[in-house]
Parts: sequence; structure tokens; C-alpha cells
Amino acid sequence: MATIDKEAVELFKQKAAPVSIKVVEVKDMAEAVAYALDTCEKKDFCELVYCGTEQTSAGIVKAEKKMFCAPNLTDKEYSALAALGAERGFDMLRSGMRGHLEGIDVAFTTADGAVAETATTIIECMSEDVRLATMIAEVHVVALKKSQIKKTSYDVEPYLQKLMEKGVMYTAFISGASRTADIERVLTLGVHGPLELHIALMEG
Amino acid sequence: MQHAESMKEYRERLQGSLDNSFLRETLDKFAVAYKANRLTIFADINEKELIQEIAAAKDEGLTKIEELYTQFKDEAEKRGVHVHRAATAAEANEIVCRIAKENNCKLVIKSKSMTAEEIHINHALEEHGCKVVETDLGEWIIQLRHEGPTHMVMPAIHLSRYQVADTFTDETKLKQDSDIGKLVKVARRELRSRFANADMGISGANFAVADTGTIGICTNEGNGRLTTTLPRVHVALAGIDKLVPNIHDALRIIRVLPRNATAQAITTYVSWMTGSAENTLTPDKRKIMHVIFLDNGRTALAQDEICKSALRCVRCGACANVCPVYRLVGGHQMGYVYIGAIGLILTYFFHGRENARNLVQNCINCEACKDVCAAGIDLPGIIQEIRARLVEEEGAPAQSTLLAKVLENRKIFHSLLRFGKFAQRPVTGGTPYIRHLPQIFMKGQGFRALPAIASKAFRDRWKDIEKSLPANGKIRVGLFAGCAQDFVYPEQLEAAVKVLAAGGCSVEFPMGQSCCGLPVRMMGEREAAEKTALANIKAFDPARLDYIVTLCASCASHIKNHYVELLADAPGMRTEAQQFASRIRDFSSFVYDVLGMKEDAFRNSGEKIGYHASCHLCRGLNVTEQPRKLIRAAGDYKESKEEDVCCGFGGTYSMKFPEISGQILQHKLDNLEASGAATIVADCPGCVMQIRGGEEKRGNKVKVEHIAELLARQLK
Ligand code: SF4
Repeated sequence: MATIDKEAVELFKQKAAPVSIKVVEVKDMAEAVAYALDTCEKKDFCELVYCGTEQTSAGIVKAEKKMFCAPNLTDKEYSALAALGAERGFDMLRSGMRGHLEGIDVAFTTADGAVAETATTIIECMSEDVRLATMIAEVHVVALKKSQIKKTSYDVEPYLQKLMEKGVMYTAFISGASRTADIERVLTLGVHGPLELHIALMEG
Repeated sequence: MQHAESMKEYRERLQGSLDNSFLRETLDKFAVAYKANRLTIFADINEKELIQEIAAAKDEGLTKIEELYTQFKDEAEKRGVHVHRAATAAEANEIVCRIAKENNCKLVIKSKSMTAEEIHINHALEEHGCKVVETDLGEWIIQLRHEGPTHMVMPAIHLSRYQVADTFTDETKLKQDSDIGKLVKVARRELRSRFANADMGISGANFAVADTGTIGICTNEGNGRLTTTLPRVHVALAGIDKLVPNIHDALRIIRVLPRNATAQAITTYVSWMTGSAENTLTPDKRKIMHVIFLDNGRTALAQDEICKSALRCVRCGACANVCPVYRLVGGHQMGYVYIGAIGLILTYFFHGRENARNLVQNCINCEACKDVCAAGIDLPGIIQEIRARLVEEEGAPAQSTLLAKVLENRKIFHSLLRFGKFAQRPVTGGTPYIRHLPQIFMKGQGFRALPAIASKAFRDRWKDIEKSLPANGKIRVGLFAGCAQDFVYPEQLEAAVKVLAAGGCSVEFPMGQSCCGLPVRMMGEREAAEKTALANIKAFDPARLDYIVTLCASCASHIKNHYVELLADAPGMRTEAQQFASRIRDFSSFVYDVLGMKEDAFRNSGEKIGYHASCHLCRGLNVTEQPRKLIRAAGDYKESKEEDVCCGFGGTYSMKFPEISGQILQHKLDNLEASGAATIVADCPGCVMQIRGGEEKRGNKVKVEHIAELLARQLK
């Protein structure tokens, strides 16, 4: 049983709030999945952003069906999730994201690590699908185990070292929704990537 | 963008920016907000320690750049990356264009990269027939407007939402609303299709880890992730100075960069790319990845003993954020590609003398940048060194040479000053201000009243003063006057002598002393600066004295921080220079800390007293508490906003750029006025001159004086 650094968990929650990360505590993976599906259910239909090479600013076009992607789950985890999503009438997928650059509703991923002091989740994204899903979804929900949270970035150094010294790797630190302040320094979320980042914080 | 232009043209451009009220207001708000936010974000971190670590690690890295490069190349190539090295900007452009050609790339997208701007890659690729689209929102906006960036981190900070709406309307051929949320959505929609269709993505690198062959980029928008994921080809451009030995070094940079840049704990995304990751568009399902390390003078700069620390820069942009001049005129006038204090420096090294000549003059030497620099770079020091090199390379302007010649010889200098008091008689109109100097001398100086030269210099009063002093004080103090007080404000020195004597000092005033040499150093006249330093050390014979006290924060900071280095090559003077520098104390900290004169030494008059924290005292010497405690002892201290922001004097700066000096002063006066203070004190005669002159011009009835005068008045 992995140990939980309670202080680190508290710090993570505390640091998440000011950068608009929504943290919800759940018991386990099943609850995390349910939370992600609920989120998808409740949200408005995805605003499509990519319309081929044609004029793209003609106005807002909304999707007619919810699309839910979970690119880095194990086969077992995914098949359970896919069944639940289909019941709710969502298009469920785990690959082929290049075909959906116009946007999807929710990306659900599992984290590979986390840093409390900056409310950062670490996700290994060697797979193109993981990188794309976590960028083109309007809402990104990450399932993170409390035991994965380390206090400072230096505490994840050994993990990063092992990860990168073994071969090819594309790793992401994600600490919020895609944001910009480039126009009049006004903070605006969702410039290129997700408008929201949710963390489903699991016991264990 | 800055072209080879005369100083006159440059000043006209500056005036143009000063007249842009939107820019002024935006930068003002930003300057105030940034400082407050930065304080908060560094609250739970040992800032000074972190900065020192960054500086030490970068310095160490620079000594082994070749090894780091070789190691990075080996590791990255093992992981399927092509690694190149470009000696010049042209070479880097050639490599990128070649990659574009080999891979048949037509549409190129870019995430933000200063190195790409440095080599003007867009231009090169467009000539090559490619279309280039910026994907960082700010960069895209200025690209559409055909402008250069005005900030390294927030390139479009100079534009309003209305201007952006117009630009987007032109681009999309649809009327766009000026609501910022909606404008951001326009970018989201427009750029997504560019991401999808691009053949090549160009990124920068905030660090390159030699140990694992990893490059890292920090972005908030996430455009960096899309740029390095969607296109078949990824080219990363990095200055060779971005190489670090290991992941620990990279993590350290991530700790400081976002905090210092935008007061964020971390950027939303940090992407670590180790080798070429999956890309489903290529036959082998791997991204075609190239990393190009740009030298462009960096390895030569790494050998430059005095200026090499400029290569520590992590491009956080903080040196612009706190610069009082940047705050007034913005980035187009404060850099060529790189902006802010580091911009003045890198323009000289990367983009040449022509582009740097006027720019490097536009530093007021307030040291605010040095104080916040993420890498602990002595930016004003390097700027002064560049001025000295420009003087050596192409000769000095006549006016500066004349000053240098005069200052080298104390007797000539002092007799000129004495002569000045006769010459000015017709212009003072019986007041202590110069009233009607011929227009030619007063050009642009109308924002403040200038003081007249005193009827009797301090040095000419000394004999009488000395007689009245008690002998055998317990502390032997040499008084260093500095020109302004000796000849313009002798009453400040008299007041100081009174306080020092009351505190138990025996005071000496060596007659051979002269100007501290800061003005000539600021003008790049190195030789004159050395000569004046030498003359002062000889005049004081420092070993005999316990302390050397000066009422001028600028003199104190210059002597303390630069004499030793200035005289490093003077045979036999090292020890004495060190003795001199180590004995120098500013008046306030000497009175409070050394003489121990506290509340019980002064009568509290209850008068409302405002304080201006002189740059060279609070940053140059780190003296912040003592003067405020002394003010509280003598009166009712009224704190004002931005007390530690420059008053705009900057010595010769206020003569060179009066329009800017004047504007900085207006800020200062507004803040002081709002505090309700009836008396304003400062620790530097230059600041007194500037603020008093400004108040006089405004017709305000407040008293502006040196803190010594306040204390002498309130002595028990
Ligand atoms: S010089 Fe220092 S403050 Fe300026 S951008 Fe570089 S690291 Fe930041």
C-alpha cells in the first residue's frame, strides 16, 4: 500500500484553487470515472473550432453529440468506461484523435505523478493521442491517486530521471487550463486547449 | 523595431511613446501589479538563494558548453533527433530552410521563441516560399499587425482590445467584437486549422538537458504542445546557453522562470521532449525532429570576463517589468528583439553597434532590474561597460569627453564650479534656483527648477566649521562630499557634521577629494573614472580613518561597489581601494547603526514627513530600515506608494533624456503628494535636487531636504 503524504495532499488542494483547477475527492477509479461521465453529461455541447481549411470564424457551431475520450487507460479500465459512456449516449473513443481536431467534450486520463507546491499533474504522453486528447478536449479530467502527490518538484526528480534516461519520452506537467493574458493582461481560459481542468483525487 | 538612427530620431520615438496614453496607463498598472504579485509568489521560497543557485549553475555550465553540447547531441541522436549547431543567424536560417525543403514543408507554425526572433526566421522561411503562422496569441496578433514584440513574455502588451478586434476583423473579414473572451475564441478557432494543416512546427527551448537529450518548453496557452505534436516535422531552436547538465538544473529554471516572469508558481504546461515521440503522419510513426543550437556570438561572449554573465539570462522579462523607463516608453523603444535591460545588452552583442548605440544610453542606472533578475545579472554594470566599449570603439561625443577631461583634473573642475557661481548670477534672480538660463542649456529641462551653485562651497567653509568642532571624538570619520553637496548644497554637509559631532565623531574633510567618478563611468569614460577614484583614495589615506561617510547614496554605492574593480589593474592600489570601499558608509545607516542615535537622540516635531528611497541606497547598498526609523524618531513618517521607485534623476541621464526623467518625476511627486507629507527627505542630494525642483515647478509649498538636515534640526 502506497503511503500518502497528507501535508502534500493539502498543499496540492490549496495551490489548485488560485489557478482554477477543480479538485474533487473520490474513493476510487470507479468514482473518478463516474465523475468524469457526469461532468460530460452536465456540460454544454462542444463548440467546434476546426472546420477544415474553410473560413472558420463564421460563428459558433456546436456538436450534436457528446464525445468522450480516454486515451491512456488500461484495456480493462477502458472497456468498463466505454460501456458506461455508451449507455449515456456519448461517442466513446481512445485513439484516432487526429480525426477530431474540431474538438471533443471530455478527455479523461490517469496521472503518472503530481507536485503539490504548484498543483501540477504529470502525464506521460508518448502517445500522440494522449497529447492531442488532453489539448483538444474542452474539459480535461485527471484521475490522481493521493499517494502520487509529492511535495516539491525536486521530489519527482528521481522519477523523471528514470523516465527520461531509458529512451524516448514526451512528458507533460499540467497545472491548470490553457490560459492567456496576452490581451490587456486579462486572464482568459481556453485559448488553445481545455477550458477546464478537473482533478479527481482518489484515495490510495 | 529600431533602425540605425540618430539620437535625435531616437528621442522623437521616445516622445511618441510618451504621448501614447493607453500604453502609459497599461504599463503603469502592470508595473504596480507585477511587484505585488511577485512578492506573494516568492513568499514561500528563498528567493535570494534560488537566484544565487541559478547564477552559479549557469556560470558553471558556461565553462563546459562544449561538453554539454556533445553530450546532448549523443543522447538526442540515440533517441532519433537530428542535432545541429549554427555559428550565425544566417547559418541557422539555412538549416531550417533546408529541413523545410527536404520535407516538403509549406505551412509552418511557431510557438513562441526568442531565438527564432533573434535570427528573423519568419523572414527567411517566407523568402523560401513557406507560409509562417505564429500560434502564441500575442505573437499572432503582432504578426498580423506587422509589428515587433514589446515584451519578451507579453509581446502584445502595448495593444488595446479595440486594436486587437480591428486586427481580427481584418484577418477574418468578419466584424469582431472587442470582448476579450470572444477575441480569444477567435484565435482558438482560427489557429486550430493552422495547427491541423501545418507541415512543420518551430519551437524554442527554455532548457536543453545534456544528460538525457531532453528539451523543455514552458507555455501557458498550450500552443507549444500542439506545435510540437501535430506537424510531421518539429524544429526546436535554442541558444547554446540553454544547455544545462541535468534534470535538477531544469527543475530549478522552472522554479524561477514563471515566478519571475508573470508571478505564477509554474506555467500551465511544461513539456519535456526526450527524443522524437510518436507522430502518426510519418511512415515510421515518429516525429521528424531537429534541434538547432544557435551560437551567434555566444561562445565568444562566454569568454568575455566582464559581460559573460549576460548569458545566464532565462528570458523572464522581469528586468523590463520593473524598469521605470520601460514603464514609460514600452518595448519598442527599449530593445531591438530582446527587450528591457537585457535587451539593451543583447542588442549590442547579437545585433550590433548600430542598433545598440542609442539604446544603451537609455538606462537610468536605478538598479531595479539587477534587484529582480532571475539570474543575478548586474545588468546596469554591463550596460555601463558597453558604453565604455562604444566610447573606445568609436570615440565619445564631444560633451562627454569634455566632462571626462575636466573631471580628471580636480583643480580645473573645482575652479570651473566656482566660476559657475559668478556666471549664473544673472540667471538666479536672487533665488536659490536658476531662473533664466539661455534656452540652449535649458532645452527640455522645464520640468524642474534647477538649483544655483552656492555662494560659498563647503570646502571653502570648512576651515571655520572645523574650528567649532569638539576635538577628540571617539570615532574618526572622513567626510566624502561629492560634487553636488560641496558646491550646490553645502548646508546639507553642515547639517551632517552637526549630527556626526553630536554622535561623538571627530570629522575630517580631506581637501584633495573630488567627484566620485560615477558620472564619467555612466558615460563610458573608463579612464577618467579610474583617475578620479585614484585621486580620492590618495586624498583620504583611508587606513587612518575608522569610517568614510557620505551623504550621497550614489557616491557611496559607486565607491563601495566599483572602486576595487576599477582599480584592479592599478599597480599597488588594490589594498587601498579595498580599504576605501570597506570604510565607506552612507549617512543614515552610519548614524543609526554605528553611532546608535535612535529615538532618544532626537526631538519628535510631529511634522508629516515623506520619504524617497534613493535607488543607490535601497538597492545599491541594501539600506532600507535605518532612514525610516530615523524619520520616525524626528517626525511623523507618512509612507507613500512606490517609495523605492526611481525619482528620474539618474545624474547625467536627466540631461540626456529630460522628457523621460521629467515623467518619472511626475509619478514620484503624485505619490508623495497623495501621502500628505509636508516635508520630504531623501538620502541623496541628486534626488533632493530632482524632487525639490519638481515641487518648486508645481508651486507646491512642501519642504524637500536631505535627511541630515531634518536630523540636525531635531537634535536634542
Ligand atoms: S536579464 Fe534577468 S531579469 Fe532580465 S530577462 Fe534575463 S533573467 Fe530575466
